[in-house]
Amino acid sequence: MTSTSQDKDLQGLSRLGDGSRHDRLHLRLILQIGLRCLHLLRPVRRHVLLLFAGFSGLSLLLLPIGLLFVDTLWTRVLQGNPMLEIEAWFFRVPIEAATSSAGFDAELRREVAEKLILWSVLLSALLAPPFIGLYYYQIWILQRVNQKLRVDLLSHFQSLSLRFHAEVAVGDAVYRLTQDSAMVTQLVQVLILTPFTAIPQFLYSVVIIGLFAPMLGLVLLGVLVPSLALGWWFSQRMRTRFRSARETNAALTGRIQETLAGIKVIKAYGAEPIEQAAFEGASHRAFATAFQARNLYAVFGMTMFWTFGSFALFITALGTIEVMKKTELAATALGFTLWNLGLYNYFKARLGGSVESLKDLFRTWGRAQDIAIGLDRVFEVMDHEPEILDDPDAIALSGVQREISFQNVSFRYRTDRPVFEGVNLSAQIGTITAIVGPTGSGKSTLMALLLRLFDPSSGRVEIDGIDLKTIQTASLREHVSIALQENILFGNTIRENIRFAEPDASDSAIQEAARIAAADGFIEDLPGGYDTLLGERGSKLSTGQRQRLSIARAIIKDTPILILDEPTAALDAVTEQRVLQNLAEWGRNRAIFIITHRLSTVRRADQVAFLGGGTLAEIGSHEELMARSDGAYRALVEAEGGAAP
Amino acid sequence: MTTPSPHQENADLDSGQTLRVIGRALRFIEPFRGQFMVKVGLLLLSLLPMLMLPWPVKIIIDNVIEGHPIDEPIRPYPELVAPLLNALAAYSPSELLFVVIAFQTTLFILIGAFGTSGSEGETAESYLASGYDTASRTENEANAGFSLTGGLLGLFDFRWTMRLTQALNHHYRTRLFDRIQTLPMTAFDDERIGDAVYRVMYDTPSITDACYRMLLTPIAAPIHILLTVTILGALYGDHPSLVYSALAFLPIALLSSLPLAGAARRMSGRSRQAGATATATAEEGMSNILAVQSLGGEERQRDRYERDSWQSFSRYRDVFRIGIYTVLIAGLPSLAVGGYAYFVAIDGVIAGELSRGDFGLLITYFFQIMASSQMLGALWYRVQASAAGLNRVFFLMDLPGETDGPGGVELPILQQGVEVQNVEFRYPDGTPVLRDLSLKAHIGQMIALVGPAGAGKTTLAYLLPRFVSPQRGRVRIDGQDIASVRLGSLRDQIAFVFQETVLFDATIEENIRLGKSDASDAAVREAARRAGAAEFIEKLPQGYATPLGRAGGKLSVGQRQRLSLARALVRDARILILDEPTSALDPETEARFVATLRDLSQDRIVIIIAHRLSTVRTADEILFIEDGEIREQGSHEALLALPQGAYRNFVELQGGA
Repeated sequence: MTSTSQDKDLQGLSRLGDGSRHDRLHLRLILQIGLRCLHLLRPVRRHVLLLFAGFSGLSLLLLPIGLLFVDTLWTRVLQGNPMLEIEAWFFRVPIEAATSSAGFDAELRREVAEKLILWSVLLSALLAPPFIGLYYYQIWILQRVNQKLRVDLLSHFQSLSLRFHAEVAVGDAVYRLTQDSAMVTQLVQVLILTPFTAIPQFLYSVVIIGLFAPMLGLVLLGVLVPSLALGWWFSQRMRTRFRSARETNAALTGRIQETLAGIKVIKAYGAEPIEQAAFEGASHRAFATAFQARNLYAVFGMTMFWTFGSFALFITALGTIEVMKKTELAATALGFTLWNLGLYNYFKARLGGSVESLKDLFRTWGRAQDIAIGLDRVFEVMDHEPEILDDPDAIALSGVQREISFQNVSFRYRTDRPVFEGVNLSAQIGTITAIVGPTGSGKSTLMALLLRLFDPSSGRVEIDGIDLKTIQTASLREHVSIALQENILFGNTIRENIRFAEPDASDSAIQEAARIAAADGFIEDLPGGYDTLLGERGSKLSTGQRQRLSIARAIIKDTPILILDEPTAALDAVTEQRVLQNLAEWGRNRAIFIITHRLSTVRRADQVAFLGGGTLAEIGSHEELMARSDGAYRALVEAEGGAAP
Repeated sequence: MTTPSPHQENADLDSGQTLRVIGRALRFIEPFRGQFMVKVGLLLLSLLPMLMLPWPVKIIIDNVIEGHPIDEPIRPYPELVAPLLNALAAYSPSELLFVVIAFQTTLFILIGAFGTSGSEGETAESYLASGYDTASRTENEANAGFSLTGGLLGLFDFRWTMRLTQALNHHYRTRLFDRIQTLPMTAFDDERIGDAVYRVMYDTPSITDACYRMLLTPIAAPIHILLTVTILGALYGDHPSLVYSALAFLPIALLSSLPLAGAARRMSGRSRQAGATATATAEEGMSNILAVQSLGGEERQRDRYERDSWQSFSRYRDVFRIGIYTVLIAGLPSLAVGGYAYFVAIDGVIAGELSRGDFGLLITYFFQIMASSQMLGALWYRVQASAAGLNRVFFLMDLPGETDGPGGVELPILQQGVEVQNVEFRYPDGTPVLRDLSLKAHIGQMIALVGPAGAGKTTLAYLLPRFVSPQRGRVRIDGQDIASVRLGSLRDQIAFVFQETVLFDATIEENIRLGKSDASDAAVREAARRAGAAEFIEKLPQGYATPLGRAGGKLSVGQRQRLSLARALVRDARILILDEPTSALDPETEARFVATLRDLSQDRIVIIIAHRLSTVRTADEILFIEDGEIREQGSHEALLALPQGAYRNFVELQGGA
């Protein structure tokens, strides 16, 4: 890896979560975020179309029926005006009688009222299930979209380098996965459902009212001018606050996670009050920022409503005057010619509807700011390119025949802090290489290069003469297995932990791996045997037992290259010897690397590589290195207290 | 020692238990009694506008549009409003219109509502978008602010409510967190962290809903119903069927939701459980990213998360489905009642007993009573989801935590030594760990615990700081049984270094100072030097102020180990216990550190668990432990002299005879 790409990477890291992206988050970016999410809708696009068709079909059905029902109720049934032909036809009453003032008597009015109510009840009973069904369908669709985003995000997190993970709190990642990603479910609402229902509804109201009286329609349209201006002014401020609300909540999640992960030390050192104070502080900050954000959002809603309300009241007043004067309608249709009470109520219902749809639209717009911030936090991670990327023409590794070699390899975590430089090392198949050296000399890092958890800053790592960078990472890692220094086990059964990397491993393979790692004895002594759940009893296993499980997990992968990082540090001497003996037999045609301090382990190696002083200081067999009178390795052995055998 | 496990947890409650859980939650509002009473006042205040709202509609219809003189109504008004009617009677219809509009304008500025058709209004709230699983919906609950009205009153009410909600939630989750920290440390396996995060973050907000629903609805709904019924009775006493039919919604809501209350609670509980599992999977994978990447477990972790996350989503749909069933069950009877009420009102207008304005007024009030009756009727049903969340919180709170000894005696500074007398310790499942084990150590001694993995060395070491308590036997410090002392005074005297290093996302300096918060800079540096950490720390560009990042991920294991040693040394405690402290140290560093330990042990007790011969042999006394018993005891030389000795065998295998 070149230092420039490393710098870029680190800049990227510092960008995560510090809010520096919010400056760029304006309308265009919100739309971009929306567009980026559209591909998430691709797998469910048929469902979305179907859903949309369902909702609009039902709504379109209800709009004209609504006018008919309201007019029939108010103008005809309640006021006693003769019915229109279409109404009489719809409600199946004698048209002649119903459309004349004389024939439309109290009895007929009651009959129409009965039918009207019956129809309303019937329509509600019939239409409610499809509406609810569609809503349930919508939840299912959006959950699928959310699921895809979550899984994609998790995959991406997993593909990012350890360097990235060292910088990002676990709780923050959990928050992004759970809370931020959930915002995608609202995107359909924000981008499609609300605009596509609220805007037509508003325009429909404008047109209807315009047909009654063009002036009133124009005034209603005019409400958009102040609304948009206010919307613009508020949204920038809301975004800033929404972002800090999300960040402080993510920080709180991180705080809980970290405290629980470190509870042992906290207890041992009586640091509970400090942690409690820190938690209270984080919780307080989370609430305070949420208050700021939500309060502004509520004020925004209020201001918008005042705006709509003033217009609506003004228009109502004008409309009331029209109906008092019984003015002629601007456009006459369906037999409606004059303003009447039914039309007035419909006019008010439309006006109310337009206020509702605008309210809906602008509320959604306010929420969209928060949604965009949430999704922006998801994409912040998604945009983070993995350091280790396969070459487009990377090849698959097909076995390791001869050797692994490090050629003039240097590595630095930070541009100013080299770990080692100029390391040359080769290891043949069939040999054991012990890697020794002082703490912090880069032993584990050297091995991480072999797994391509990092790339060297300069130099090459090769397997059978092939540069690792030209090999597909997944295929490389299929050929290398590692038992980690920290014996990380997962909350699952012992069986599942052993076959973590090899899910298809048979029971006999699991038992064989456990035998080689000298873990079979204690596993079989457990009441649950291989099915013992570590979630419940993880703490019951001693470190030495965990260590052996972690060795078994590496062995079961059956790879030509095996790395053991301090495999025996927590093992007692008897077990250590058994494990080493088994490994030596098992590893005859493999290359094994062992990082260790223990002399008894080192001595079993074919070659010893001593890392120290920022480079590979000495290499050779135990005897050769011991023969160097001022050798660093010799000094190390002597310090350990084991003279030559 | 109790290990919380999802399997022990009582996943469902019966009605009595639910009631107790809710009752217990309500007590958490106690510290905010004053604020809460103000909220009740605001709520009642905001009922008034609701009652006034339908009137402008009636006046506009009857007296403006239809032009009836306001002082000659079809139906007489109560005497009470006669002065108002007389005042309004002077206006012509169009003047009346402007009076009404002016009234409405005032209303909508003050309370954000105006009655163009009786009901449009703004209620102040700030519900933000949430997703479709239980966790992502809780943030709104934790910050719930709402009011029945909008406008200036609504805004004030909303802000007041949000402050109250947040204070309540803060109090509740802080208490839970505090409680979690007092749980025995053995209660928290790594695998349970995600679950605990879920409970603190996403289960605690259930308290909001439980408190508001249980405390506000029974006050506000009956008062609202009562007031409305009174008004209706005064005006339309001859049409009582309207009121009765509105009240019919109460039994409908009750009957339709009661059978499903249990299901609602169970589904909510399961949804939370599934969400917690998904959170735990994500947390575990992120925490152990090194293992996932180096073992090639990405696909497996992704599949696992995919499964758990989808499970959480489907469980949420179950919750939602229960809601649908109640709506559907209640639907038809509600529609029938509503239709009947409409018909009664229409009939009244046709018969000339009611004006068109009365009709609008009646219908509006009818819907208001309906809403309140439904709210009251479905109260028990609606509170179930909260009960499920509260139950999960109380489960953690109720786990037996660590307690101070009876009387909480202060343990004086150690003068002589510690004594372990015939202790026996078993895991909860009965597996014996320590069997009748005794040992003594006095100041100036360095004791090494040696033996095979799983022999009980760590458990023995855990006895001293009371991380675990023996089922039988005693641990005494200067003759004082530690079971009877204040825990803090005991742990203050012990510095414990764990096998797995734990570092926090803070600076190096802060991590070391965790051992002793008031340690001077010089003391921190001295401890780092003695732990062999000073060298690498000083090479870092930011030195002691270097932020460690998550779990010290930027340091090598050996460097981390040295930091945790420094943390123990800075504590300057009388008892120093080290569990495999040097496994990742190179021999040179180790040798220097062991010399430091020797030096320290002059006026302290040092207990060290180790496999490394170079560490072990410097101890004054070596205890060889196997199967929970002390097999051999003595100095390095004395034990080596035992032919066929277990220790001797151990030494020989390490290659250092």
